[in-house]
Amino acid sequence: MVKSGLGVTEAIVLSLLAYAGSAQLAALPLMASFAPIWLVIVTAVIVNLRFVVYSVMARSHFAGLSTTKRIWLGYLVGDIMFARFSALLEREPNYPHRVAYYFGGASCNWMWWQVSSIIGILAATAIPISWGLELAGTLTLIALLVPLCRQWPVLAGAAVAAVTSVIAHGLPFRLGLPLAILFGVAVAFVVDRRRMAA
Amino acid sequence: MTEPYVWWAILGITLATFITRSGPHWLGERLRIPPTFDSALRFAPACALAAIIAPDLLFVGDSLVLTFENPRWMAGLAAAAVFAATRSMIATIVGGMAIFWLLKAWLGA
Repeated sequence: MVKSGLGVTEAIVLSLLAYAGSAQLAALPLMASFAPIWLVIVTAVIVNLRFVVYSVMARSHFAGLSTTKRIWLGYLVGDIMFARFSALLEREPNYPHRVAYYFGGASCNWMWWQVSSIIGILAATAIPISWGLELAGTLTLIALLVPLCRQWPVLAGAAVAAVTSVIAHGLPFRLGLPLAILFGVAVAFVVDRRRMAA
Repeated sequence: MTEPYVWWAILGITLATFITRSGPHWLGERLRIPPTFDSALRFAPACALAAIIAPDLLFVGDSLVLTFENPRWMAGLAAAAVFAATRSMIATIVGGMAIFWLLKAWLGA
C-alpha cells in the first residue's frame, strides 16, 4: 500500500478500520487516480462479496445475540477463522461454546493481522518483493483447505472453483473470486445431490 | 494522497467492510433464504479457499505459468503433501517455503 503512494498514517488507519486485505489492494489504484468515492465503495463491496456468503452461513449461530454483538462478530470474520469455524460445526453442529470459539479465534486473528499489517506498512521498503514471502499466506490457506476436501462433493467444488478462479483472474474488481465460489458451490451441490440419490 | 479525498475513501472502504460482513448478521432472520440454498452454502469455505489459492500458485506476476519454471505451484503441492502427512500447519508453512526457496535457487530465478 505504501509502495503505491498512500501515506503511512493513512495506510495504518485503513488497515485498522477496513480489515480487508484484498479490498484495500483493489481500491488503491482507484484512489491513486481520484476515482469517485462511490466507485471505491462498490469495488470494495464486490471484492468483499465472499464475506456475505460467510456471514449468511454463520448468521443462524449468532441468532440469540443482540444486534450490536452480531454486527461486531460479523465484522471480525476472516477467511482463516471462517474455515476453522465451519470445520468445528462440521464435527459438532451444536457445540455449546461456538460463539466463544468464534469470537476468541476471530479477535486473535484480527489482532495478529493488524500487527503484521502494520509491521508490513512500516517495513514496506525493507523487505524485497523477490523473496516471495507472501507465499507463506497461501500455504496457510492450503493447510486449511486440505482437511475440508475429504468428501467428494467438496473436492469437486474446490476443483471447479480453482479452475474458474484461474480462468476469470483477469476480470475487473476481482470478480473472478465470487464467480468461482458460485460455480464451485453449484457443482458441489449437484455432486452431493447425485450421491444422495444413488 | 493526503487530501480529504483519501479519508473519505478510507471511510468508504470501511463502510463496504461493514455492509458485506455485518449486513447479513444485522438483517438476521429478516433475511429469508431458501433452505436448499442454505445447505449449499456449507461448500462455500472450501470453494473460497481454492479460488484464492489457485491464482496465487499459478500466476507469476500477471501471467499464467503452468510449467516447471514456476516454483510456486510445486511448493504449494509439496505443502499440501506435508500437511496430509503431518497435520501440522507450522510444518506445512516451513516445509512449503523451504521447498519454494530451494526451487527458486535451483531455477536461478
